[in-house]
Amino acid sequence: MSVARRAFIQMSVGATVGILFTPTVWTALDDVSIWTQNWPWIPTLKYGEMKGVPTVSKMCESGCCVQVRTVAGEAYGVKGNPDNPLSGGACCPQCANGVQNMNNPNRIKSPMLNGEAISWEKANEVVAEKLEAAGSKVAVISGDQSGTVNEVFSALLTSKGSDAFYMMPCDMQIADKAWTGLMGGSGQIGYDFEGSDAILLAGADAMESWGSVVATRTAYAKNEVRKLIFAGPLQTKTAALASKWVPVPAEGMAAFTLGICYYVLQAGKSVGASDFDQFKSMVMSNFTPAKVEAATGVKADMMADVAKQLLAASNPVVVPGGSVAANAAAFALNLLLGTGAMKVLPEFAKGVEGAMSRSDMLKGDILQGVTADLLFVYEANPAYVLPEQLKAGFTVAFDCVNTETTAAADLVLPIPHSYERYEDTANPYGVGVATYSMGAPVSKPYLDVMPAGDFILGVADLGVETFAEVIEAKVEAVGGDMDELIEGAALVNEASASVSGVTLAATVLGKAAVPVKGTGAVSLAPYTQLVVGSANQATTPNAPAAISNNQVAIDYSLVVMMNSATAKKLGVADEAKVKLSGGNGECEAQVKIFEGVLTDTVAAPLGLGHTVGDEFSKGRGDNVYKILTVSSEAATSASTWAGSTVNVAKI
Amino acid sequence: MEERKASKRCGGVLPFIIGFLATCVLGWAVLPGMFYEKVDQPIWFSHTVHVEGEGMDCESCHYFRDDGSYAGFPTNEVCAECHAVDPEEAMEAIAEEGIDSNDYDAIMKAEIGAIEDNLVSGEDDKKQAEREYVVKYLIQGKEVPWLNYQFQPDNVYFSHKAHAELSIADLAEMKKELSDVVDPSVFEGEAPEQNCNLCHVKDIAQNDVPPAFERNILSGYSKMTMKMWKCERCHALKGQPNACFTCHK
Repeated sequence: MSVARRAFIQMSVGATVGILFTPTVWTALDDVSIWTQNWPWIPTLKYGEMKGVPTVSKMCESGCCVQVRTVAGEAYGVKGNPDNPLSGGACCPQCANGVQNMNNPNRIKSPMLNGEAISWEKANEVVAEKLEAAGSKVAVISGDQSGTVNEVFSALLTSKGSDAFYMMPCDMQIADKAWTGLMGGSGQIGYDFEGSDAILLAGADAMESWGSVVATRTAYAKNEVRKLIFAGPLQTKTAALASKWVPVPAEGMAAFTLGICYYVLQAGKSVGASDFDQFKSMVMSNFTPAKVEAATGVKADMMADVAKQLLAASNPVVVPGGSVAANAAAFALNLLLGTGAMKVLPEFAKGVEGAMSRSDMLKGDILQGVTADLLFVYEANPAYVLPEQLKAGFTVAFDCVNTETTAAADLVLPIPHSYERYEDTANPYGVGVATYSMGAPVSKPYLDVMPAGDFILGVADLGVETFAEVIEAKVEAVGGDMDELIEGAALVNEASASVSGVTLAATVLGKAAVPVKGTGAVSLAPYTQLVVGSANQATTPNAPAAISNNQVAIDYSLVVMMNSATAKKLGVADEAKVKLSGGNGECEAQVKIFEGVLTDTVAAPLGLGHTVGDEFSKGRGDNVYKILTVSSEAATSASTWAGSTVNVAKI
Repeated sequence: MEERKASKRCGGVLPFIIGFLATCVLGWAVLPGMFYEKVDQPIWFSHTVHVEGEGMDCESCHYFRDDGSYAGFPTNEVCAECHAVDPEEAMEAIAEEGIDSNDYDAIMKAEIGAIEDNLVSGEDDKKQAEREYVVKYLIQGKEVPWLNYQFQPDNVYFSHKAHAELSIADLAEMKKELSDVVDPSVFEGEAPEQNCNLCHVKDIAQNDVPPAFERNILSGYSKMTMKMWKCERCHALKGQPNACFTCHK
């Protein structure tokens, strides 16, 4: 036994030494170390052809013409579409995060009735029943400003005998109220940012949040003169690009613009409008530089300088933002300047019979409130922006992600993401030439979703069966080539709408341009940055990295900016915690001293303070919409947030 | 006492040598093979049929895209240029027959006209392989999960374009130094125009039945997966950079 045992040990030692002289152990060790590259939680790459598939993204208000970057057919990123004039190769920060949002865990996964998952058949039954019961008391709120889906919804309203179509508050709507409502124009106002040799942005944060930001930036990048003047209560990113910032309170923008009209009229400019004499008389008597200075605080010599620069230019343009009166005043000034840089775009032909015109869709004043037995909300978040304005018996919310509005809705219907559906954009606001773009689905939906157009066409007989057919009809109606459009080209129509019969709205402007301010201690200057979020779109997964501490503090509290004079007056210091009270609400915030804010004004970013959403948006900052005050513009019968004021208290 | 003597006579050397030699033999000849399991390709693909039979060249399926990236395995889109079965039409026909679209055997047995009429193979066994491809992948809209003999993990960036100009004839001059990296038989005979043999299965273009994929049971990688030292050796010999970021992007 002893011998056998010893021999065994000796053989084992020999075997052990022997194995070390072979590659087995060393190769196995190497393989084991490589195995650690393959932990199951490590994602694996997909290999295949990389493409940039053109389509239209509707995450931002105007919509971006993008190329969705795919590998082996799977979307992984987004870039601008260089073949489309609305993009020129660029896209906004919201649409740039389109794929991340498409794959967001916050996506709605199936139809939900009062919080319980239901089938599409059941959803169809419920809506059909509610439609039948509601009669003409049906309303639609759309967060899409330029899509043909609005034609489907408005045709539904028409078939029910309702005209209660509402857009979420937007620059396009305000401009339309001024141009077609007050001044009797037709078509849609646009601007030649490429060709103008002097641009006055009268409240329009054009390079950051106004109109079609990407198209504006792309056009301005080609501008050879680049003379840009920005007027507003806050030095925004747009102001950073401007050669001059004119501090003007939001409620004083119309008066400021008429103050410039004074100098232009003084220079002998005129226009063949029927009420020109009345307009001239009104401006020369009520909006003299001294009076405007007294009402707005803008120095007369500053207005004179701006007027001088506009008069010296061969193709100047004034681009308004803010109230209806401010828009009308700017349009009147453009007419006086005789500029060719303010364009009047014709509307594209409709693709759905019975659909409302765009101007009619923009007539509804959502700030005055929406009351209906049945309310459809399409990719909009009115419960976040205007919670007090909604009074509906039954709300159906179409969206692809959970929002405050879907949380409050009775029936939630998940729709495909922009990249999973047919989508189009016709004349996004601000573009200088009539432009139509469309896109086909890039990715197959991975959730139980249905395009809103398909659903509506399934419950109402509007003469077509699917939204894809609607898009085909639209393309045919506008004279486009489906294949070319799907490949990313845009249909451009250089025609202009007629301006004959347009007035200068002298009677209304005389009253509406007088600045009216709330009763709070300081003015509130709300502003939008796309990385922070907009009315309908919360910040996107990659965007928070680009949000500065001028908007959100390190502890995720809201940051409001004011200059040192205002801070001194309010008795607060940099980084002080304050409570802002205005409208019917309150916000908590941290103070940031920034001298680029008008005195007696607090600047606050919109788009924060979501109570529903993903980890990137929920609980970040506070919702400034709560402290905005809705007031009625004198004489224009339009509602506005301009003139909002707040009281500020230290916490 | 007797036992002790016997033990001393052996001197402990013989068992040691036996153990040493046994594991040497095992370690060199037997055990390395046990680290790999053989896995067949999902379907039979014959290069011979396509290259010799149909006169296709390598670039018909394996080509550089406009952006310089390399289309390694052909996609259904490429295959369908010849295997022209309309997926929509085939699926409709399958539904009309009342067959579950996932029941591949039933579909193949049913000999559906929309599929059978468009098969291009002549011989039965090859036609069955083509039928299998069409039913399991083409009409289902699924790409064939080919097993890549030269699989490289995601943490390695390999550009075919950057290696396209390597010439086997030129490299033959350093075949001794490359003997651990490249199969020496690659340098035998007249050097082919293309350099695929340097890394890929030798003369795969003339292969009728694809060799089994040998998967390492520990790492999960292919037996032919090139180890980092091999990449480095060749880079060094060719005077190319060996910095981490050269391959690990």
